[in-house]
Amino acid sequence: MIVEEEISVSMELQEMLTENGYKSKSKRARNRVGFCLIVVFLLHACAFDVVHLRQSSCQIEKVKSNGKSFRLGKEVQVTLDTGYSRKLKDGVRWDYVGVIPLGEVFRTNDQILTVEGSNIFEAYIVVSSGKLVGFYLPVEKTFSSISQPIELEIIELKYIQ
Amino acid sequence: MKPFFKLIPVLVLSFFMASCAASGPKFTELSNSISTLPPDTGRIFIYRTSFLGAGVQPEVKLNGEIIGKAIPQGFFYADRKPGNYEVLTSTEVDRRLSLTLNSGQVRYVRLDVSFGFFVGHVFPVLVEDEVGKSEIQECRYEEFKRSEKQIEKKEPGDELQ
Repeated sequence: MIVEEEISVSMELQEMLTENGYKSKSKRARNRVGFCLIVVFLLHACAFDVVHLRQSSCQIEKVKSNGKSFRLGKEVQVTLDTGYSRKLKDGVRWDYVGVIPLGEVFRTNDQILTVEGSNIFEAYIVVSSGKLVGFYLPVEKTFSSISQPIELEIIELKYIQ
Repeated sequence: MKPFFKLIPVLVLSFFMASCAASGPKFTELSNSISTLPPDTGRIFIYRTSFLGAGVQPEVKLNGEIIGKAIPQGFFYADRKPGNYEVLTSTEVDRRLSLTLNSGQVRYVRLDVSFGFFVGHVFPVLVEDEVGKSEIQECRYEEFKRSEKQIEKKEPGDELQ
């Protein structure tokens, strides 16, 4: 009888130990996963140079325009590949600056236009066949495209030289 | 007595905020005495309205030259030749703003604050002239005193490219 009782007690103890051991191991693993998730979240959310703006270097040719300035007939909302969005206000006058292989470059004094990743860059618009195809960054001398070209409502100002 | 104790954290916080804020004359008081723009130059106003992360006051560089500090409710300005410029603030990360400056042009750069990993990030944003003119009114002039080391150091050129 005593031997049987001893055996049953030791089995119970073993079960408890394994159970506790298992529980503590799983708890530790969960804590580690949680910690890693928090670190990843913090790194992603707020730290460092994580949002890059894709740019390709390009040369602007200052070909003389023949009254290519225009006004925008309708406001345009542009969502950049970095996730930030920008508005091109209606009624704003855009003046021809030059041409790059991907289209014609226009700038304005009527609104501030910047494109944004982790850093912010002043930008001009690049238009091809009446569509906004991307941005020209005058300081960096680069082009940054948008994934979906956007149709612009262009009101040409032909009298402007 | 109890209400008095409740006030202590508020008083401590206000004292802390006040000690972190800019202490010079307000823009409205100073605007008449700010020199007119010299010919063939442009002006960049840099200001910070936010008290968020008031203890984080990084130096502000313009094309690599330290021109001021990001002090809450503070402003300063720099007159420069027309060209390409980069405004840089460094905390745990570098945040850049690139912009062009024309002759006679006045540009407004606001220093915004976002959450960071260990400390807040201060980042420069180019704002519309009307927004800048309105927001800077309540800011106080913060004169930047160069250290001897900075005076000895050769100043970098204005042009970025």
